[in-house]
Amino acid sequence: MSDLTSDQSQPDHDPTQPYEGVRVIELAEGIAGPYAGRWLAALGADVIKVERTTGDPSRAFGPWPGDLPDDETSGLFLYLNGDKRSITLNLDTSDGREILHELARSAEIVIESFEPGYLAERGLGYDVLSADNPPLVMISITPFGQTGPNANLPATELTLYAASGQLWLTGHPERPPLKNGGAQPSYQAGLNALAAIAAAYFGAVTHEQGSYIDLSVQETYAGMAEAFHTRASQLGIETQRSGNNLNALWGLYQTADGFGGICALPRNYPGFARAVGLPELQDARFAEPAQRLLHNDELMAILHGWFIDQSQEGLLELGIEHRVPFGFVASMEDLSSSEHLHDRQFFAERDDALAGRLTYPGRLWLSSGHDWQMGRAPRLGEHNLAVIHGELGYEREDLVRLRELDAI
Amino acid sequence: MFDPGRPLSGVRVADLTMIWAGPYAAKILADQGAEVIKIESPQAWDNIRTLLPPPVAPGEHWWNTNFYLHEYSRNKKSLTLDLSADEGRAVFAQLLPHCDVVIENYRTDVMDNLGLTYEWLREQREDIIVVGMAGFGKTGPEKDAVGYGPIIEMMSGMTSTTGYGDDGVPYKSGISYGDPIAGVCAAAAVATALVHRHRTGRGQYIDLAQREVMSTLLGEFYMDWSMNRRLPQHMGTGHDWMAPHNVYPCAGDDDWIAICVRSDAEWDGLKRAMGSPEWAERTEFSDQILRWEHRAELDELVGGWTAARSKTDAFAALHTERVPSSPVWKMLEVLREPHLRARGFYEPLRHPEVGIWAAHGWLWRADGAGPCIIAPAPDFGQHNAEILGDLLGMSESEQSALESAGVIASRPAGVPLASEMPATPSMLG
Repeated sequence: MSDLTSDQSQPDHDPTQPYEGVRVIELAEGIAGPYAGRWLAALGADVIKVERTTGDPSRAFGPWPGDLPDDETSGLFLYLNGDKRSITLNLDTSDGREILHELARSAEIVIESFEPGYLAERGLGYDVLSADNPPLVMISITPFGQTGPNANLPATELTLYAASGQLWLTGHPERPPLKNGGAQPSYQAGLNALAAIAAAYFGAVTHEQGSYIDLSVQETYAGMAEAFHTRASQLGIETQRSGNNLNALWGLYQTADGFGGICALPRNYPGFARAVGLPELQDARFAEPAQRLLHNDELMAILHGWFIDQSQEGLLELGIEHRVPFGFVASMEDLSSSEHLHDRQFFAERDDALAGRLTYPGRLWLSSGHDWQMGRAPRLGEHNLAVIHGELGYEREDLVRLRELDAI
Repeated sequence: MFDPGRPLSGVRVADLTMIWAGPYAAKILADQGAEVIKIESPQAWDNIRTLLPPPVAPGEHWWNTNFYLHEYSRNKKSLTLDLSADEGRAVFAQLLPHCDVVIENYRTDVMDNLGLTYEWLREQREDIIVVGMAGFGKTGPEKDAVGYGPIIEMMSGMTSTTGYGDDGVPYKSGISYGDPIAGVCAAAAVATALVHRHRTGRGQYIDLAQREVMSTLLGEFYMDWSMNRRLPQHMGTGHDWMAPHNVYPCAGDDDWIAICVRSDAEWDGLKRAMGSPEWAERTEFSDQILRWEHRAELDELVGGWTAARSKTDAFAALHTERVPSSPVWKMLEVLREPHLRARGFYEPLRHPEVGIWAAHGWLWRADGAGPCIIAPAPDFGQHNAEILGDLLGMSESEQSALESAGVIASRPAGVPLASEMPATPSMLG
């Protein structure tokens, strides 16, 4: 495969971005919806982020440079909102609602994350917004979806982790269930939302008919429970959490300088045994997958003794040499200086007037057909004038009135 | 008639993927209406078919039945084809003009070794969309590294963020989290490429590194490193400003409930749910900051309330007061969880050698969509005649010749029937 990071002369490269000219109204706050909107913007969409007049609450979450809280320098917000335009609207005012309705007429996609019923109560449900815009794709991203007994139950990352069955599976068997770092329920929901929007938008452009999508964070995360839920339903077997080792050949071990890992399926064992090089791995008791499971503790003890003398980088090199699934627990520091990731131009770098020089994950995949934009995130309401006056035709005096009415 | 649940209807996908990440992507495409042809070699089939030997996999033709296979390959068709043989590649070349997408998650070098380069694929269909999902991508000094989900998770930075906080040990997710994340992203990439092709007439090659996708789910940690050169702290199930925020033990065997309080209003709700105990009025619990400072003691007291009741009783009380909370559902429980059940999240899967069991349906639900699951995972080679005969116009004698040559098959080569095998333990028995 030729190098897609530097070769813009690919025969199939096209200057048209996938979502160029596509208008997205992002009414979503926090992580999930903005994550999806962030990549649509990077792929050319005109994403108008409609913020409440006090701003997306993610502006109030860090990290901040030097730990100094500032609505315009939240690392989370800056990461999730690049290349978007920001306007402020108060949807509890009739002017705010009218402006949103006008904007939606010009939009191909609407992303929202209000509590179920919020938009419909304000006359802004999908039936209203799509009435004169039938190809509109609209997605609602909420913790538990639009229907069912928990639809209006407030949620956090931890409670969603529990509700999806994921929390039960993670952590040490003799300790309480353990949550992943960060905000995985929301992030993975955002990624699902991106797939949902892309598929629905393809349906809309090929059939000239839009759709309304109800995405539940709990469901997208439960859908990822590996096959453990269907194992329960097909065989009636409960799954216990297995900590860092599902078995000796699937998990983490301490190394001389940190933690490394191995994930070897039965077919990987011969290569693994060659790479490790210990003669006892060739013993008859480890020859077949079933025997290895019967002698799992012995195998684990041998591997503990071997891993503790290895280095993290050495493991990866050994894995590359022998085509064996070795890896290590990489930190943000390791990754930010990774030659491999820089070679693939994975990180975007940007000088932000207020936040300084920033480096962050800059794309999802490499394509021979299109590029990724890596622009900055908007200030709160930065595009009120350009959008409400410039595009919707409100007079400047109207903007003053709207401000006085607390509508923007 | 447009089916809003199947926006990808009319799209045909040649699915060369195996194990989890790739099949998860192709499953989403199939659920969304694409015709997904799962292509496996009689000599090198999707390893997931035989990862769980009998009796875990029921039935005589056990390579068609295990829960793992069905989780990732329902709604697909099966074509067997040995792509390492010239005759197999010739058939593939005949099939490609009928396909919009080729998706694979082999090791980085395998497609090129098979002669299935992007250039060759484009010769068969000029506007083909090709997705490669190698763990570390197709370029760069680590491109030949290999890894399944937990390796991807470790190498993305994810595992470094997870731990109890008192022992310095990082923890992996309970699932192979790298796989479905890459799978969902690949589905998004395919749909995006289809949009791009619709607008420009051009196909494209997509190099999707599983590790990179997972790294994008860690934005705030990368930003903290970039801004402050700070690495994430292991938080366990705690939080850096919420309290209570934890899992609390309940009556029952290894039963827990997650409870989080983000505001004074939710604290008042929690107090009411607990029956307004006297201790909750103590000064050190009177605001959010004080509660966080005294969180260890608070956790003990809340845990005392939860320990005296079942997690479902505790949840019922908390639900009434709209306190963010959820029982820590086990796998046998989540299948019957009332909210998911009310929404019809789990749907029946039927296979003649297994019977009926449940699998998740729509990952997201379009208004007006019918049931998600139309068919179980296909039997090995189930659609050979349909694809080779009906679609490609191959005669029965041509198909027989391919079968005699071992290029197509209805059974993985050398795999015995269940009745011919001794019972053996398996990785996930």
